[in-house]
Amino acid sequence: MSNKKTAFTLLTSLVLVGSLLAGCGDKNSNDSAAAGNGATAEPAAKTTEFSFYYTGSQNVDDLWKTLIPMFEAKNPDVKVKPVYVASGTGAQPTYDRILAAKQANKGSGDIDLYEDGIDSVNKGKNDDIWDTLSESSIPNLKNVDENTLKDVSNLAIPYRASAVLLAYNSDKVKDAPKTLDELYDWIRKNPEKFAYNDPSTGGAGSSFVTTALYKFLPEEAIHNSDPSIMSQWGQGIDLLKDLGKYVYGKGIYPKKNQGTLDLLASGEVDMIPAWSDMVLDQISKGQLPATTKMQQITPGFNGGPTYLMVPKLSEKKDAVYKFLDFVVSPEAQTEIVNKMHGFPGIKLSNMPQEIQDSFKGASEGYRTFNLGDLGKEINKKWQSEVAAQ
Amino acid sequence: MSKQARRGLLGISLVLPSFLILVLIVVLPILGSLKESLTNHSGGYDLSNYKYLFTDKLMRSNIIFTLEVTIASTLLVLVISYVLAVYMRFNQGMAVNWIRRMYMIPIFIPSVIATYGLIQLLGNRGWAARILYHFGSESFPRIIFDMKGIIIANLWFNIPFTTMLLGSALSAVPNSVIESAKDVGAGKLRIFFKLILPLTFKTLLVASTFVFMGVIGSFTAPFLIGPNAPQMLGVSMEQIFGVFQDRQLAAATAFFTFLMCSFVGYFYIRSMIKEEGMRSS
Repeated sequence: MSNKKTAFTLLTSLVLVGSLLAGCGDKNSNDSAAAGNGATAEPAAKTTEFSFYYTGSQNVDDLWKTLIPMFEAKNPDVKVKPVYVASGTGAQPTYDRILAAKQANKGSGDIDLYEDGIDSVNKGKNDDIWDTLSESSIPNLKNVDENTLKDVSNLAIPYRASAVLLAYNSDKVKDAPKTLDELYDWIRKNPEKFAYNDPSTGGAGSSFVTTALYKFLPEEAIHNSDPSIMSQWGQGIDLLKDLGKYVYGKGIYPKKNQGTLDLLASGEVDMIPAWSDMVLDQISKGQLPATTKMQQITPGFNGGPTYLMVPKLSEKKDAVYKFLDFVVSPEAQTEIVNKMHGFPGIKLSNMPQEIQDSFKGASEGYRTFNLGDLGKEINKKWQSEVAAQ
Repeated sequence: MSKQARRGLLGISLVLPSFLILVLIVVLPILGSLKESLTNHSGGYDLSNYKYLFTDKLMRSNIIFTLEVTIASTLLVLVISYVLAVYMRFNQGMAVNWIRRMYMIPIFIPSVIATYGLIQLLGNRGWAARILYHFGSESFPRIIFDMKGIIIANLWFNIPFTTMLLGSALSAVPNSVIESAKDVGAGKLRIFFKLILPLTFKTLLVASTFVFMGVIGSFTAPFLIGPNAPQMLGVSMEQIFGVFQDRQLAAATAFFTFLMCSFVGYFYIRSMIKEEGMRSS
C-alpha cells in the first residue's frame, strides 16, 4: 500500500516536473496555435494539446485515463494532457492558480479544463473566471438536464453524480425504510443502531442533515441560496436533536464518510447514510460484508454532481469544447456509470436502455441541492446545536 | 575601531541570521494572525472575535475541555514516565532490559496509524472489549469517541520521549551522592525526596512544558477519537478555518492557544536563563 503511495507520489511529482518542462516548451506551440486559429485557413492541420486538471480518489483518475484515449482515438487533432492532483492536497491551489493567472493577466495559467464540486463553481462565478457554455459550441449539452445547468448559470457541466443512499446490513434489517418518516421511526425504534457522520467531515452525513432540515420546507427551497431561509430550519434542527438520543452512542457522529462505513463493517450499527459509489466499491473489495444492501428513500437524500469548468481565458477553448461534447455523449457516460458506480451527468432518458433499467428505483429519489454558501451555515448550526446539545 | 567594538559587531553578525529567521517565520506570522484576529466582519478592528471565543457556549466548553485533557495528560505522562525512568535507573535485570528496548517503539509509529490502532483496540467492539467479554464482562466503558481515548492516545505519544528526557537527567545523578546518603543512614524515601527529586526537578519542568505544548496543539488523535462536542482547540480551529471559513475567528483561537503555550514556555525559558546565570557566575 505504502509502496503504491510512494510510487504514486513519485509519479505525481514527475508529472508536475514534466508539466513544468512542457510548459516551457509549450509557449511556441501556443502561439502558433493561436495564430492558426486567427487564420483558420488550415483546419485541423495541427494537433492542439490542452491541460485538464482534475482531483479526486483513485477511481476518478482511472476513469479519465480510460475516457481520454477513447476521445483521442476519434479526434486525432486534439490531445488531452491529464494532470491528476491527489485528493485533499491540490484542489484549492489549482483554483488559486487559475485566479492568480487571471489577476496577473496571464491567461488561464495553462489550465484549460478543471473538474471540481459545486463550491468551486460558485467561487468562480463570483470571481468571474468560468466560461459560459452553450449548445451551439457543445451540441451534446442538450442531453443534460436544463435545470441542473441553470443552477450553475451554464458555467459548468455536471458530468457525473453520486448519490447518498441508506446502506444497511440485510441480516439484521429485514424491512428497510422507504420514506424519510419510516427512517426516522426506525432510528427511534432501534436505538444506537444508526449512525451518520459529522456533516462537516463528509457528504453522507451532510446529506442526512440537509435532508432533515429541508423536510419541513417547500420543495423549491432546495434551490434557494438566500440566507433568509435559515430562520425556517428550526423544526429540522429540533428533529436532529431528538434523533441524537437514538443514534450510535447516544450522540456520537464519527468523522469522515469512512467513519460510519467502519461502524457498519464492524457490526456496531446496522444502518448508515453513505455514498453509493463508496459502498459498491467496498463491497467488491470485501471491506463491507456481502450482506450490505442499499436503499434510496423518498424524498431522497441529495446527490452531488461533479462539474467540469472551462476557464474563461483559456486559449484552446475549441479543443476543450470538442472534449466536453464527447464527455456528455451517451457513449462516454455509459463508461462513467460502469466505472464509478455513479449516476450519469446527462438525463437518464438519453442513456442506453440497459443503463436506464439498472437505475430503476434508485434514481427516482435522488435530489440535487443547490444551497450555495448555506452549506457552511448548516455545518455551523449543526455543530453548535446538535453536536453540543 | 576598538577591539571591543569589533568583537561586539562579530557577536551581532553571528546572532543576526538566526534572529532574522526567527522574525521571518515566527514573529511576523504571529503578528499577522494577531492582526487577523482583531479584524471584525465589517473590516474594522475590535475584540469581537475574542469576545465570541469566551462567551459562545460551544467555544467556552472547547477551551475548558482542551485544558482538562491537556492538564490530565501532562500529569499522567509525567508520573508514569518518572516512575519508569526511576525504575530503569535503579534496577537491573530482565524487566529493565526489556523496558529499555521497547519503550521507544511508539515514537517510530506514525500517529495516524497508532490512532487507528487504538480505535481497533479500545473501540466498542475492539479487541479489549472482546477479550473482556470472554471473561464475563458484559459492558465495556466508552473510551473511543470520548475524553478518555484522547488521554490514552496522548500517553502513547508522549511517554517515550519524556521517559528518555527524565532518564538522562536521572543518570546524571551521581551514584556516589546516593551511596554517601545511604552511608549516613538516609532511608529510600528520604533519598528520593531530598536528593533525586530536587536534582531532576528542572528536567521535570522542561518535560512538562514539552508535553503541555504537544498535547494542547494536537490534532490527529482528537480529530479521530475525540467526541463531536466539545472538541479540542486544534480540531475546532481546523473546523472554523476549513469548514466555516471564518479566518478571523480561527486566528483568534490560534492566538489564544499561542498565549497559553507562551505562558508555559515562560517557565521553560526562565529556568534556562537561571541555568545560564549559574554557569557564568
